[in-house]
Amino acid sequence: MITTQEFSYIPGEHEAEKASNSYLMSLLAFIAGLPFPIINLIATIIFYLGNRKDTFFVRWHCTQALLSQFTVLMMNSVGFWWTISIIFSDEVITRKYISYIITILIFNIVEFIATIYTAIKTRKGIHIEWWFYGDLTTLICKPR
Amino acid sequence: MKKIILQFLTILILFYACWFALYQVDWMKFFKIEQITKKTEEKLGDLYWDIIQKTENENNSDSIVYKVDIVLNHICQANNIDRKKIKLHILKKDDINAFALPNNHLIIYSGLIEECENEAEMSGVLCHEIAHMEKQHVMKKLGKEVGLAVLVSMTTGSGNGEVAKRTLKLLSSNAYDRNLESEADLTAADYLIKANIDPEPFANFLFRLAKNEKNLPKQVFWISTHPDSEERSLKIIEYIKNKEILKDSLLSGKQWNSLKEQIKQTE
Repeated sequence: MITTQEFSYIPGEHEAEKASNSYLMSLLAFIAGLPFPIINLIATIIFYLGNRKDTFFVRWHCTQALLSQFTVLMMNSVGFWWTISIIFSDEVITRKYISYIITILIFNIVEFIATIYTAIKTRKGIHIEWWFYGDLTTLICKPR
Repeated sequence: MKKIILQFLTILILFYACWFALYQVDWMKFFKIEQITKKTEEKLGDLYWDIIQKTENENNSDSIVYKVDIVLNHICQANNIDRKKIKLHILKKDDINAFALPNNHLIIYSGLIEECENEAEMSGVLCHEIAHMEKQHVMKKLGKEVGLAVLVSMTTGSGNGEVAKRTLKLLSSNAYDRNLESEADLTAADYLIKANIDPEPFANFLFRLAKNEKNLPKQVFWISTHPDSEERSLKIIEYIKNKEILKDSLLSGKQWNSLKEQIKQTE
């Protein structure tokens, strides 16, 4: 799911720190805005916009961090509004709801661990590509 | 590009497979959700009934209860509803009202029976309240308006009696929301048809009360909280339009008249 790849050039210390921060940013926002799935996406977008004119290595990792947020955002949003409808409308807790919440919990934990791992590795200048997101990022993010 | 689409589809399949696999586990049983809800409902039902018993007079006249019971038994039997779980209480009260409490307590005021022109109208009201019970509307309404935490605290003894009294008022004199009322009306129509009782008198009863509400000397709780009673009545008529309806008589004319007479005397 996560592979170490050769990047087109060896990133410098400053680049590695910035790239790593893009993952940390999504992690911090994830913890801070836990009940509201949109918070971590907004934080990552802000970080991405702030670094979109940076070097290729930084841009690439900011993009991967941003894209990885989208899938979790979709899943969490459904879970969030489902929970709201249970609290405020006629919806009731069902087996389907509980299994959905556990499913998104598993996906969130996997994403959380992958993000920490990637942040550590990227900080050391190691280029980490996620399965699917890595290819998608390469497709979107091109060197100037 | 093809590789990326395939990878995306794999993630999607993985997500749904995970959800489906987890769905196979009976989480409701695992977390004892149904058990907790049922226990809370039982305790709430008893709590509310205790309050009513202290403030109102129940009509325990055997001949009255017997006649209403004939109708109730027939409806339950025809619709595969366990009659034993329904606790029928006829209260000596002039107001036109009927409501369901948690744990299947069915409260009907003598004023409502008196206002019914025939057994089919009364059957309609009974079916409407049974529908609220069967569709879990009572607990849904309480959970939505009071909150589960308050309900649980009421049953564990930490809640005060004032809260219980106020929430009881929610059930006895406030309507359910439009969707739940409509669902209960149409379910009641189905129950009536299955029991070979014509739902039209029930629709007429709603219409009549809504039209005459201001002229009636009694408080029409069963209608006054439903501003769309006329619309509901028309909806029932529309719903039963092309349905085959058999009409059985459960109480003889004599029995129905004596029921109303006895109700009047005991009030």
